[in-house]
Amino acid sequence: MAKLRPVLLATSGLAAVLLLGAADQGERAPVPIDQGLVARGKPFYERFCISCHGPDGDGHGYAAQWLDPMPRDFTSGIFKCRSTPSGTLPTDGDLMRTVRVGIYHTYMPPWEVLGDYDLRGVIEYIKTFSPKWKEEAPGEPIAIPPAPPDDEASRKRGSVVWANMQCAKCHGPKGKGDGLSVPTLMDDWGHHITPFDFTSSDTRKCGNTDTDLYRTFMTGVNGTPMPSFADSLKPAEAWDLVHYLHTLRRPD
Amino acid sequence: MKARVVVAAAALAVLVPGTAGAIPAFARKYNVACSTCHEAWPKLNDFGQLFRDNGYRMNRGKDNPTEQPGAYWPIAFRTTVGYQYAEQEGVPVDQPPGTTTTKTGTFGFAGLDILTAGALGEQISWLLVYTPALGSAGFGTAPADGDLESAFIGFHRIFGTPFLNVRVGKAAPDLPVDEHRILTLTTGYNIYHFHPQGSAVTFEPGENQAGVEIYGHSELDALRYSVTMATENDAIFSKNWISSPVVWGRISGLVHLNNSILPEVKGGIFGSAGWHPVQALTTTDPTTNTVTPVPGTAYSNQGYQKYGADLHLLFFSNVNPLDITGVVMFGNEDQALITNGVRSAQWIGGFVEVNWVPTFNWAIIGRWEHIATTQAGTDSTPQDEGDLTALTVAVRYTIEFSNRAAVTLHLEGSQTTTTVSGMTPKGTAVLAGFDFAF
Repeated sequence: MAKLRPVLLATSGLAAVLLLGAADQGERAPVPIDQGLVARGKPFYERFCISCHGPDGDGHGYAAQWLDPMPRDFTSGIFKCRSTPSGTLPTDGDLMRTVRVGIYHTYMPPWEVLGDYDLRGVIEYIKTFSPKWKEEAPGEPIAIPPAPPDDEASRKRGSVVWANMQCAKCHGPKGKGDGLSVPTLMDDWGHHITPFDFTSSDTRKCGNTDTDLYRTFMTGVNGTPMPSFADSLKPAEAWDLVHYLHTLRRPD
Repeated sequence: MKARVVVAAAALAVLVPGTAGAIPAFARKYNVACSTCHEAWPKLNDFGQLFRDNGYRMNRGKDNPTEQPGAYWPIAFRTTVGYQYAEQEGVPVDQPPGTTTTKTGTFGFAGLDILTAGALGEQISWLLVYTPALGSAGFGTAPADGDLESAFIGFHRIFGTPFLNVRVGKAAPDLPVDEHRILTLTTGYNIYHFHPQGSAVTFEPGENQAGVEIYGHSELDALRYSVTMATENDAIFSKNWISSPVVWGRISGLVHLNNSILPEVKGGIFGSAGWHPVQALTTTDPTTNTVTPVPGTAYSNQGYQKYGADLHLLFFSNVNPLDITGVVMFGNEDQALITNGVRSAQWIGGFVEVNWVPTFNWAIIGRWEHIATTQAGTDSTPQDEGDLTALTVAVRYTIEFSNRAAVTLHLEGSQTTTTVSGMTPKGTAVLAGFDFAF
């Protein structure tokens, strides 16, 4: 055993180096699905979720035919509201937030009143609908720096970002969601979608705070034409854009 | 008196209580299944209670009438059709003088509720429940009078806080268990309707009250309060700013324990104080010599009180729970409110109810209730006169449970024993039917 110890240590060290290397490259191991939580979440899903999202989680519950936008298709493993980079799976925290708070301007209600005990189970259950959760780990949440002051200068710089990023192509020149590209905008499931109207409401699908808006710029909205600007915007520019959007809001 | 008690007990056993309950118009509006708001319809779960408290709003931008297609019409209907067998011991008869046991088996329906409810704007809600005059309703035993069972306008989040909401009109007071969403159909909650022997009081918290309710709640209903100021139903109007006044209040709360054995506990305390007039000016019909009191002249208000506590334990899951509820209530009425009263009348009552909802289709219900007079107001009747014990068991299987309608097979048996002159005649009811709402 004494002779084996150096070999084991060397092997362990090599494994650790390899794992660290993998982590450096963003390759994280999938998180095993907790079957205990799945069992807890299944009755919740069957009671509250199935009529819209369907028994197979494909977004084709019997009520889906009357819903616009359509319910989320869990089989694709694509989620709009995330803190993780574009194309990656959301964290449990992201899913919990959506289930707790619901999604404004859709028929997804807020379920927070039912308590985290069962909500935690239901998000584990919806992972069983897509093989992605067995193959990939959730993305690493993006860093969100503190917001700079929301002043006139920042908003002015934000208007330049708005123009440079061609936001008006979809959201329209005044942010009303009536850009020239609107007729061509489809989601990954072939449904026509409408860009957000920044003039009408401060309640947005993925959260109402400035931080939520910043996060949406930098993560994009998976499954829709809304891209991530993480590679094309500096954090300060993204904050300027957030501040500029305040100017588009129509007074109550 | 004996005949009155027996007939009242018989009526209690076969009359389905007013059951407004489920409103599928909301399911159609939001495209959600009935199980979203109902633990087992018509009983609300926490989500449904919060939806109601928020003025029939989910607060995700889809509540206002302008958000709905023009064809959407917020109307719902509910009734129960089927067969009911009722048996009552101790019913007085003349041939020969004595008592007998009545037995009736009838096909029919329980009545009809026509409901409309919704949100009118950012902070306003409404509910109307009309029960039309249908002499054949209630399996042939219902009164033929129609009634506006509920009618209120609600104002919500006054000054922006969920702790201040007002409902004006006729609405249910905040009860430990809402009788209008009861899961049994042959018996109601007797303690909500109990009066000691000889009582003149007509206030029953189980009935909707015409008045003003001020209520509030935390964002997720962890804490609630409700105060209803009303005029006592069916009492002659006293000459006060609020005639024959009664105040009902309840404070309640819930705690999520986040464990697999007992995930949620709810509880509350409640009470009421009312003042019933015992004298009034009268007028005499010259043709019939009938003497009747004149409304608005009654005076000499005398006080009565009810108060108690409730506890609700949700075992295993708050999605499909084993829900055990215990309610205890005390009552006290001034001796002036008791015919030939020589002292105040006091009573205690309560029930234990077990609802098991193993899946959203199934609900198994059992309830035991007992009410005992602890101090009779008069020496002319035994203390236990009118005391009551009731046992009810029921099974509900929901066949259709969509965002359009609900149809449930309902099987129920109940037995109510009421003390009459030292005897304890039983009233038995069996119901097999289909409870449906659209």
